[in-house]
Amino acid sequence: MSHDHSGSSSPSFREKYVFSLDHKVIGLQYLITSFIFLLVGFGLMMLMRWQLAFPGSPIPFFGRLFSAELAPNGVMSGEFYNALGAMHGTIMVFLGVVPLAVGAYGNYLLPLQIGAPDMAFPRMNMMSYWLYLPGGVLMLLSFLMPGGAAQSGWTSYPPLSIINPGQTVWLLSMVILITSSLLGSINFLVTTINMRAPGMSLWRMPVFCWAQLVTAVLLLLAFPPLEAASILQLMDRVFHTSFYMPKDLVLLGQTYSGSGGGQPLLWQHLFWFLAHPEVYVLVLPPMGIVSEIIANNTRKPLHGYKTMVYSMIAIGVMSFMVWAHHMFISGMSPALSNFFLVTTMIISVPSVALMTCLVFSLKGGSIRFNVPMLFALAFIPLFAIGGLTGLPLGLTVTDIYLHDTYYVIGHFHFVVVSGSIIALMGGTYYWFPKWYGRKMNDRLGLIHFWGSVACMVGIFSPMLIMGLAGTSRRLYDPTAQLHNLSTQGLNVVSTYFAYGLALFQLPFIYNFFNSMFRGEKTPENPWQATTLEWACPSPPPHGNFPSTPTVHRGPYEYSTPGRVCDFWPQSEPPSEDL
Amino acid sequence: MTTIAIEQPPTAGAISNAKLGVWLFLASEIMLFATLFTSYIVLRLGSTSWPWGWDALNVPLATLNTVILITSSITIVMAYAKAYDKDKPGFQSWMSLTILLSLGFLVVKAFEYSHEFKLGIGPHTSVFYAIYFTMTGLHVIHVLGGILVNAGLLYMSSRSKHWEHPLFLGRVEGAGLYWHFVDIVWIFLFPSLYLL
Amino acid sequence: MNTHATQSHRPDVRMSLLTFGALMALTLVTVVVSKFHLPRPQAIALGLFVALVKASLVAGLFMHLWGEKKLIHKFLFVTLACAAVLVLPLIDSLLVSHQLTAPIAVADQRPVGSGH
Repeated sequence: MSHDHSGSSSPSFREKYVFSLDHKVIGLQYLITSFIFLLVGFGLMMLMRWQLAFPGSPIPFFGRLFSAELAPNGVMSGEFYNALGAMHGTIMVFLGVVPLAVGAYGNYLLPLQIGAPDMAFPRMNMMSYWLYLPGGVLMLLSFLMPGGAAQSGWTSYPPLSIINPGQTVWLLSMVILITSSLLGSINFLVTTINMRAPGMSLWRMPVFCWAQLVTAVLLLLAFPPLEAASILQLMDRVFHTSFYMPKDLVLLGQTYSGSGGGQPLLWQHLFWFLAHPEVYVLVLPPMGIVSEIIANNTRKPLHGYKTMVYSMIAIGVMSFMVWAHHMFISGMSPALSNFFLVTTMIISVPSVALMTCLVFSLKGGSIRFNVPMLFALAFIPLFAIGGLTGLPLGLTVTDIYLHDTYYVIGHFHFVVVSGSIIALMGGTYYWFPKWYGRKMNDRLGLIHFWGSVACMVGIFSPMLIMGLAGTSRRLYDPTAQLHNLSTQGLNVVSTYFAYGLALFQLPFIYNFFNSMFRGEKTPENPWQATTLEWACPSPPPHGNFPSTPTVHRGPYEYSTPGRVCDFWPQSEPPSEDL
Repeated sequence: MTTIAIEQPPTAGAISNAKLGVWLFLASEIMLFATLFTSYIVLRLGSTSWPWGWDALNVPLATLNTVILITSSITIVMAYAKAYDKDKPGFQSWMSLTILLSLGFLVVKAFEYSHEFKLGIGPHTSVFYAIYFTMTGLHVIHVLGGILVNAGLLYMSSRSKHWEHPLFLGRVEGAGLYWHFVDIVWIFLFPSLYLL
Repeated sequence: MNTHATQSHRPDVRMSLLTFGALMALTLVTVVVSKFHLPRPQAIALGLFVALVKASLVAGLFMHLWGEKKLIHKFLFVTLACAAVLVLPLIDSLLVSHQLTAPIAVADQRPVGSGH
C-alpha cells in the first residue's frame, strides 16, 4: 500500500472530523446527518397528522410559531399542508433513507467487508458528502421562499409544479443531491470491482455487499433521467419554456403565457423512471443488513446465498421495466398497461424468493434474540405485509380503484418504515460496537424496538383500511369528502400512534449518544461474526487492516461441520481444528 | 486517524480505478443525454409543425463548430501520445491546442446565441428553441467542464510532483475519454438540431 | 505499483489521422446532403445513420473501445439497454397511448358534490 505522506504528523480537527477522506468518518457523517433529516421529516409529518386527525383545529404549541400565511390563528393552511406533504416525502426519501442506507452503511461497511483500506476515490467520497449536506440544507431552505416550500407533492407533476411556489429551490437541490449520489455510485462500483482483498471473489462477498453493488448500478443509471427531467422543469419555471406545458392551458380563467407545445406526461414518465428503481434502492441495502444480522444470530449459513444474490440482480434489472405502474390511470393504452402489469408481477417473484430465503435461514438455527436480531426478525413479516399490499396496486383493475388513495400510502410506508427503517435501526445496534468500540444499552433497545414496531403498525394499518374505503391521498381536509366521515376516526388513531412513535425514538437517541461515551466496552468481534469488518479493531484505524487480509472461505461459515468453534472468520488461515 | 488518501493498486490485470471510474461516469452521462434526446423526439413528433434547421439556426457556424470539436478530439489524442512518450513540451503543446480549440467552440457558440437573443429569440419562443437552447446549453456546460479538466492537467504537467506521478497518464487518458464523449454528443446534436 | 505500461498503450497516430479525415468527410457529406431537402423520414434516417458511424469511429478508435476490456463493453451494453428501455415505451406511450391534442382547460375550483 502506498501512502502519500504529508509533512504534518497530527491532523487538525478540521482534517480529522470535518473534511476527512476516511470512509469511516464520512460514513458516520452521513449517519448523523441522515438521522437528523429523518427527524426533521418526521417532525413535518407530525404537524400534518394533527391537521388530518382534527381538521381545522389550531395546532397545539407550534401553531403560534407559524406566520399568518402558513397557519392563520394556528390552523394549518391548505398550502402549508401541501408543502409539508411534499417536503416530508422528499426529505425522507432523498435526505433520509437513501443517504442512511447507502451513504452511511454502505460507505462505512463496504470497504471493510471486502477487505479494502478505503474507497477507490476517497476525495470523491468526501465530495459526495459535502454535496449532500448543502443540497439538503438548500432543500430545507425552500421553506423560506416567498410562497413557501415546494408544494406539488414529492412527485412534482407539471403543470402544477411549474406554477406553484417553492419548486425552483426543490429542483436545484435535486440537481445537487443527484450529483452527490452519482459520485457515490461510481465510487462504490469501482471499489467493489477493483479493491477486493485477495481471495475475496464476488461469490464470497457478504449479501450486504451484493445489495450495495446492485443499488449502485440502479443509482448510476436511473438518476440521470430525473436530473435531465429536472433541468427541463427548471427551464420551464425560470426561462418560461414549455417542455411540460401544453398548448392553450387555461389556469383560473387565464391562458398560460408560454409558447405551449409541451407534454405534462413526459415528466411523469421521466420521474417514475428514476423513482421506481429508487424504491428498490430504499429496500435492497436494508435487506442486506437483515441478511447479515440473521446469518450471525442463527449461527448457520444463510439459506440460498446464490438464490438471494441472483434475486437481487433480477430485482435490479426488472426495476427499470416497471415504472409505469405508477401511471396506470394516466390514460395509457391497455396494451402498454398490460406490459407494465406483467413486468410488475414478474418483479414480485425475486422479492418473494429473497424473503423465503430469509425465513428458511431461521429454520434449524440457534437463534439469539438480541436487539439487532429482533429488528431483523420484525422486518420479515412487516416487509412482507408491505410487499403483499403492493399486489393490488400492481394489478391494473384493482389499481383503478386504489390509485391515489390512502391504501397506497399505507403500502409504501409499510415497506419503507416498518421495513427499511426497522432494518436500518437494527443495523445501528448491530454495528455500533464496530463504530465506537462500545455496545448500546439493551434495555433501552428493547423499549425502542417494541414501541416502534407497535406504533408503526398502528399508524399504517388504518391507512390501508381508509384507502379501501376510498379516502383520497393528499387531502388537506379529509372530512371535505362525505364518504370519508365514516373512517375519520382512523385518522385520529394514526395520529396518536405517530406521536407515540416519536416518543419511542427518544430512548434510541439517548442510547446512541450516551453509549458512544459510556457504553459497555466490547471486544473486536462481540457478535462472533465471520465477515471481515469484525477482523479489525473497533473502531478500525485509518487503513482498516494492519495488513491486507487474505480470504479463505465464504461469508457465512457458521457451525461448519467438524469444527468446535461455531464460526469461522473469512480471513482466518485455513488450518486445523479450533 | 490522518487524512491521507490511500491508493491501493487494483487487482492485477484489471482496469485501472481511474479508467473504470470515467467509463462509469460516461455511462451516467449517456443516460442523461439519452433522456434529453428522447424528450426531443417525443416533443417533436408530438407537435404539428417543426422548423427546418437551415431556416431557424446558423448552420455554417455550427458546421465550423463541428470541425473545431472533431479537431480537438485528434489534438487530445496527440496530447495523450506525447504524455505516453513522457514528452512534456509535446504534451503541453497539444493540450494547449485542444484547450484553444475548445475555447473557439465557446466563442462561436456565444456568437450564435447573442445573434439569436438580439432577434428576441430565446428558449421561451417555441418548443424548438427550448430544445435547442437547453441541449446546446447543457453541452456548453460540459465543454466548460472539459476545459477546466484539461487546463488542470496542463497546469499539473508543469509540476514535477504530478508529471512524474505514475497515475498521471491515466488521468490524461480519462480526460481524453470524457472529451471524446463530449464530441460524440455534439456529433448527434448537430444533425438532430441543425440539419434535420 | 502498476506502471502505465501494463494498463494502456500508445495511440496509433496514423489510424487516428485517418479517422480524423473520415470524420471530416462525413461531416461535409451530411451538411451538403441536408441542403437538398430530402423528405423528412429519409433525411432523418440518413442523418442519424451517418452520426452513428461518426460516433462509432470516435468511440471505437479515439476512445479505444475496440480493444477495450470486456467489462467495459458489458457495462456499456447494460447502459444502452437501459437507455432503450427508457426510450421505447416512452415514445409509444406519449405518441400512441396518450393522444395529446386537445387543449386542456382547467375549471375554477368548485367544491365536489356528493356522490362519487
